[in-house]
Amino acid sequence: MSAPLLDVQAVDAGYGHVGVLRGVSLQVEKGAIVALVGANGAGKSTLLKTISGVLRPTAGRIVFDGAEISGLAPHRIVDAGLMHVAEGRRLFRSQSVRDNLELGLYGGRLDAAAEARRYEFVYELFPMLRERPDHRAGVLSGGQQQMLAIAQALMREPRLLMLDEPSLGLAPVIVDQVIGAIERLRAEGVTILLVEQMVDRALDIADRAYVFQNGVVIGHGAPADIRGGDLIRRAYLGAAG
Amino acid sequence: MDPDLIVNGVVAGSLYALVAMGFNILYRPTNVFNFAQGDLVMLGAMICASAMALWSLPWFVGAALALAAVGLLGLIEERIAVAPVLRRSASGHAWVITTLSFSMIIANLVGRIWGPDPIAVRPPPPLTTETFELFGANVSSYQIALVAATIALAAGVESFYRTRAGKAVMAVAEDREAALLRGIAPESLSRWSFLFGGAIAALAGVLAAPLLYASIGLGPSLLLKGFATAAVGGIGSNRGALIAGYVIGLVEALAAVVLSPGYQMAATFAVMLIVLLIRPHGLFGHPEARSV
Ligand SMILES: Nc1ncnc2c1ncn2[C@@H]1O[C@H](COP(=O)(O)OP(=O)(O)O)[C@@H](O)[C@H]1O
Ligand SMILES: [Mg+2]
Repeated sequence: MSAPLLDVQAVDAGYGHVGVLRGVSLQVEKGAIVALVGANGAGKSTLLKTISGVLRPTAGRIVFDGAEISGLAPHRIVDAGLMHVAEGRRLFRSQSVRDNLELGLYGGRLDAAAEARRYEFVYELFPMLRERPDHRAGVLSGGQQQMLAIAQALMREPRLLMLDEPSLGLAPVIVDQVIGAIERLRAEGVTILLVEQMVDRALDIADRAYVFQNGVVIGHGAPADIRGGDLIRRAYLGAAG
Repeated sequence: MDPDLIVNGVVAGSLYALVAMGFNILYRPTNVFNFAQGDLVMLGAMICASAMALWSLPWFVGAALALAAVGLLGLIEERIAVAPVLRRSASGHAWVITTLSFSMIIANLVGRIWGPDPIAVRPPPPLTTETFELFGANVSSYQIALVAATIALAAGVESFYRTRAGKAVMAVAEDREAALLRGIAPESLSRWSFLFGGAIAALAGVLAAPLLYASIGLGPSLLLKGFATAAVGGIGSNRGALIAGYVIGLVEALAAVVLSPGYQMAATFAVMLIVLLIRPHGLFGHPEARSV
């Protein structure tokens, strides 16, 4: 088997003196959708923030495409091809849809023609963005904001897209659209690390899944095995492992 | 209304707007309100005045020296008084103390080096401070140039914010962590902003000097007026700074005549209070952006 695109090796991380993650190891293979599930407060968002460089690991290594990225500044990690769509669709609310997309290109080295193709790509994926280029991001609906947040993260052609609870607070029909877009992205060759509270929806599209509890990986495997075993019940009911 | 009053108000207002623009430029990517801004303005005036008076350099050389030196000092301030405290907590308020300390240090050093005597500064030829009559008002060519230069600068700064780099600065102002995740490096934007904010402060001082003299007294008074202007205009908005500068300049000029010159400061702050009571984010401020 070839080396994984993302390789998290025995990482500890947290906030100041508060440790959250303990010895977390996780691999994401090129072209896969890997799901990360676990109860609220398990440390899923903390792991994504550590991978994207907002937090620094206090132990362990993070390797992306063969190069160590742990300890790099977040913009260097973005340059390496890794994009993180944070929890709660953190858009630039007072700027327009088009400006938010343009900000997704910031720091990239695409020429004008390549940039135009990126706009076209995200407009194909989320046609509603094409219809409202001048709307301020803050006035969009929750689902539209989520689509804009994903589109913004796609502007620089990331090789790995990390999505933190993209379905949070969305109507079921909108969740379907977002899940559909994630599957289309995989078909386009984008690798995806997906954190989701809707465990079944995540397992439906994932190639592999990790289960988190209290800052520790308590198991991983194929979605069918995760569904069949009692890991999920343990992770969500908090029974001691 | 006396036409001279309008001239005085608009000229003073332009200076306040310049000071406020310096504030705004470094506020945007850092959410830091630089208490040393008045001292940077004063230092700009002192350097330009000294270069002209002591070394008999032409105006534009003195001005360029002042802009470069004060821009650099702004950068130093960012490195030692702002970046370290923002690294510890991007939303904390320790910068109040550190930028105030920086202000005290500059004011003290400038007082030691230059002493308290004001230095007269001649405007660059062919401009003069000699007045002539225009539509019933007494104006000088220097005043007209100053007002025009301020408008041009405000337009230039605003058009920068429509570039990709400018939008990135606005993005950092709105959500620093989200900006980090999009590959925007706030530290680098904050360094550039202090460099430019410092240079604009120096420019305000250089332009004020032929009208107000260069002296250490320039710092505190322009800090307060510039602060009031930035707050009334909406912190971060340069269009707002220009309009607010005119409003405050005119109210002040009016107060000096109708009441007495001693009431100028009271008038400024009365305007500020009234505007902020009605519009807490200022005339052109965005409620969505973070505020102080
Ligand atoms: N900014 C923060 N400062 C301190 N502790 C935090 C912060 N964010 C999250 N935590 C704590 O870290 C733990 C993991 O949180 P998080 O990674 O957000 O979990 P999840 O995303 O799985 O719901 C929780 O105990 C939470 O209280
Ligand atoms: Mg979370």
